[in-house]
Amino acid sequence: MSFAHKIAVSALALAVSAGAALAGGHEDFWKKAAEPYQGVTLRGVTESSPPSLYIREVLAPQFEALTGIRVDIETTSWDQMFDKAIKDMEAGTGIYDMVYIEQDIIYSYLARNFLTDTTQLLADNPQLQAPGYDEANFTTFADYFRGDNGHLYGIPMEAFIKIYLYRTDLFGDADIQAAFKAATGRDLAPATTHAEYTEIAKFFYEYGQANDMQLWGATVQGHTGHPASWYEYFESVAPTFGVYNWGIDANNNYAASVANGGAMNSDTAKEALQWWLDLRQYAPPESNQSTWTEVGTTFGAGRAAQGLVYGENAGWIAADDTKSLVVGKVGVALPPLADGVMAAAEAGDGYIGYYDGGAFGLPSTSKQKEAAALFLEYIGQNDVQPDWAVAAPRVTNTATYDDPKVVAMNEELGGYYDMLRDKGYLFAGAPAYPFHAQVREATAPTFYKILTGDLNVSEGLDQMAAEAEASLTELGYRK
Amino acid sequence: MHSNRLGWILLAPTLVILFFFGVLPFVYVVFVSFHSWNPFAANPEMIFNGADNFRKIVFDAEFLNSVGVTVTFVFFAVVSELIVGYFLAQAFMKEFPGKAIFRTIHTLPLIMAPIIVGSVWKLMMTPSIGIIPHYLNEWFGLSVNIGTSSFAAFATIVVMDIWHWTPLVTLTLIAALVSLPQDPFEQAQIDGANKRQIFFHITVPMIAPAVVATVFIRLMDALRTVDEVWMLTGGGPGSATRFVGVHIFREVFPKTNYGYGSTISVIVLYLTIVACWLLYVTMLAPRNTKKD
Repeated sequence: MSFAHKIAVSALALAVSAGAALAGGHEDFWKKAAEPYQGVTLRGVTESSPPSLYIREVLAPQFEALTGIRVDIETTSWDQMFDKAIKDMEAGTGIYDMVYIEQDIIYSYLARNFLTDTTQLLADNPQLQAPGYDEANFTTFADYFRGDNGHLYGIPMEAFIKIYLYRTDLFGDADIQAAFKAATGRDLAPATTHAEYTEIAKFFYEYGQANDMQLWGATVQGHTGHPASWYEYFESVAPTFGVYNWGIDANNNYAASVANGGAMNSDTAKEALQWWLDLRQYAPPESNQSTWTEVGTTFGAGRAAQGLVYGENAGWIAADDTKSLVVGKVGVALPPLADGVMAAAEAGDGYIGYYDGGAFGLPSTSKQKEAAALFLEYIGQNDVQPDWAVAAPRVTNTATYDDPKVVAMNEELGGYYDMLRDKGYLFAGAPAYPFHAQVREATAPTFYKILTGDLNVSEGLDQMAAEAEASLTELGYRK
Repeated sequence: MHSNRLGWILLAPTLVILFFFGVLPFVYVVFVSFHSWNPFAANPEMIFNGADNFRKIVFDAEFLNSVGVTVTFVFFAVVSELIVGYFLAQAFMKEFPGKAIFRTIHTLPLIMAPIIVGSVWKLMMTPSIGIIPHYLNEWFGLSVNIGTSSFAAFATIVVMDIWHWTPLVTLTLIAALVSLPQDPFEQAQIDGANKRQIFFHITVPMIAPAVVATVFIRLMDALRTVDEVWMLTGGGPGSATRFVGVHIFREVFPKTNYGYGSTISVIVLYLTIVACWLLYVTMLAPRNTKKD
């Protein structure tokens, strides 16, 4: 079933059931709480992603029907979304009452006091507190959106991990298993180490070539001019080797270079980058132009045997036969790891991959804070979560995992939700840097030169570490 | 006196709009260019730093590279568009079957937004999947990958720009050619001038103002190219297609380096004015001097 179809069906089903469900619950509350805001129009800006489209197409109309408060959700590209939100909040124009806060930008927004403390706002306005809303319902991912005071500054709306996807049909094929055993001397199974991952990639690349198939060994998010490649290395590859937080030590004057106490250009970081670069020889030709979207598309087109894929794409890859050629053929696993990384992650001293997601926040500059708070509570309720999770794989509330619809979806996704629930703690969001985009942009041009071969790994990472420190000094974080 | 006042009254709305949407933002950009200002710095305030940004720009390798890439792009794109546009204009001056349909199809790219053009070309150029790399490989055995080859990425952008903007040049030159008086051409033929002599000594001088105006428009457009490149390559591979416009975009938006980004914008504006002035002096001034 396509996403648009799911949205339409969900909208119909929810429209029919919403009245009864909410009437049996808290319809009176919503109507009474919304009374002072009749005629108000709330405006939100977010990335055009499946979870956001669900808000625009399903939750916003539902809320409007229930409360009379109109909600206009603008869905746009990742770049434009940040641009519009930041300009609005910086200039104080108050155009938007809700902005999408990607996990990695929250610290920048908090540092600039862009966001409203929603916990405090609701505490100060008891008449706004919805009976079905409780911060305790959220998974621990919500902690990324808390300020130093422990209060929430954004209502989680999507959360997923970047997982290791593999083709169960290929991995389970008896002939392929035998060929793999003959070639490598071991059984074919999802890789647990980097060497195994490369070995599998090489095997399937050669298998595809030998059988004249459009099949390659692994996806690589290796765009040579887009930050997606930078992110894949720093968020999904380097941590599996034990290089965390981009190799920058926030407790040591934001040092990035080994000489100053950082790890961005450490031997381990160089080993990690070289490993990832070497994978490209077994990846589809489009890898050099692939962002997170194209990696999902490549996997969904059946062009790769395995890959690291953002969980937001896992749903349609595994279950949407109008877009994916590998429906029912997808398994999930933890990413391959270097020695000691899993132990460090379990001890809370490291992490094994990227826990991605975002929240809807209330800008300090909003002119309709109270009405916007009502909408944020609405989308944070347990009741609205299951259909949302089925339409766009994301889980932000603990209770969602046990809903029958989500349990069924979990089967289709090869146990993805189980992994999110049981192993999510091993993953981590972006480090708490208020200079996230600034340092990324300062170092990305050099990173792209490594990808094109204009710089070798060692020279490139040395240069990036120096650039990161120079940028941090210029921004005033590094003394 | 009375008519002057009416003229000013009629002009007033335009002048007010120009002031608020043209002059004022420009003055603000110049003002910001003398400041260090990044809202995500430890100190997010705007801090006056004199000419530091202008001094920094001289040593900014990324900026200098982007200027070099842009100038090269502008040269190849604009010259090609002029040549192809002229021949197409000459072709459209003649009658041939299907001319109306061909002219309509030829003009269609003009109505497409640059971001759409970039998206379409990205689909067509995706390594191994896109139609262009596929057939280049199948027919000529060429392996084209704009994600790894700087030349392929750059050449694709030049071709994309030619495809997108040549119709503008064609239309302008058709208008210029149609309006030319026939007397000088007939006179030259009577005097025994050949086609080459007629072209260089009559056609070119007579359409020079239209050519210069077209080149000005295309030059200024090409210098600020962002959308198509952003969509197609993002400035890569490496910095191979990081044009000045893309560089400014990255400085100002993702990096939020408003002060330095404004400085680059001011410098690029200055370079554009100088380039246009040089072009004007080279192509039109000698002609005007002869007239005097």
